Amino acid sequence: MPAPLSHDAFFSSLSDLLTKTSQQSRGSVTLTQKPLLNPTPDSSSKPSILIRATDGNTNAPNPKTHKVEKKKQSSKVKLSTVAAPEELDAFYARYAEVCKAGMTGLKKRDRKKGKAKAKGGAAKGAKA
Amino acid sequence: MPLLPTSHAYLEQSALLLQAYPDTTRMTTKYNFPSTRPSNTSRKQKSKLASSSAPTATTTTSTTPQTPTTPLAYLTLKTYNPTTGICLKYRTNKAAEVGRLITSLGKLAAGASVAELGLSNPVPAAPAAADVEMADAPEDASAGASTPVVPAAAAAAPPKGDAGGKGGKGKKKGGKGRR
Repeated sequence: MPAPLSHDAFFSSLSDLLTKTSQQSRGSVTLTQKPLLNPTPDSSSKPSILIRATDGNTNAPNPKTHKVEKKKQSSKVKLSTVAAPEELDAFYARYAEVCKAGMTGLKKRDRKKGKAKAKGGAAKGAKA
Repeated sequence: MPLLPTSHAYLEQSALLLQAYPDTTRMTTKYNFPSTRPSNTSRKQKSKLASSSAPTATTTTSTTPQTPTTPLAYLTLKTYNPTTGICLKYRTNKAAEVGRLITSLGKLAAGASVAELGLSNPVPAAPAAADVEMADAPEDASAGASTPVVPAAAAAAPPKGDAGGKGGKGKKKGGKGRR
């Protein structure tokens, strides 16, 4: 795992990654968040949050296994950044914006009208 | 690995899990497009064929996947605690939910409790009321706020309706998975 990026670099890279995935209409982007624990237990302060983003590029060469297929694939994208507890609000506000802007493959709100005929199952469409 | 029916239920349960294990619980958000590889689709069709064991021609025509020009992506939220093995999931494909969900993730990351999440619904006192709430969230939100007696009574009265609601949800889930 490369070193954590700054917030700006992380967001721009994440934006690129999401946009690319949405344009290709395939693949996935996985975002993980978990507390970054200090080796020295300090219960008084809240831990920083480590945020990771990756595309699930399983075609990227895995050094552990044989190189079965040598496709000309870009390597796996891995991004990470650390948000301190006091800057979480600002971070997540930007994070939400980036995600909203990038995740264009999701169902839009105004597609509701044509949903019944777009989806095959009539019963399903009526229920959902 | 329960797939929770509403984002509200997911966030509530996640908040509880994070409260219980704040250090080891992680939250994952996956944005993905369903795989469209031919091998995958054929496998699905094969399994469908095997389960239905109907003549080939008719089933293939009926189960031919509706191929929209642009496949819809899914957003899957997962809260996982490796030490206890507890995993909570929520899946959606609505773009309108993204902003709210990410903001909630931020609140959870900051260690917000269930009450601090700022969800519209008050935390239900009785578990029976929770069931009703999931089936009909907006109505119960107002009912629960004004007269807390009403949802409890409603829960007690139609146990059959409750079960029916659950069945419907299950069906919906299956539909999501297939699409």
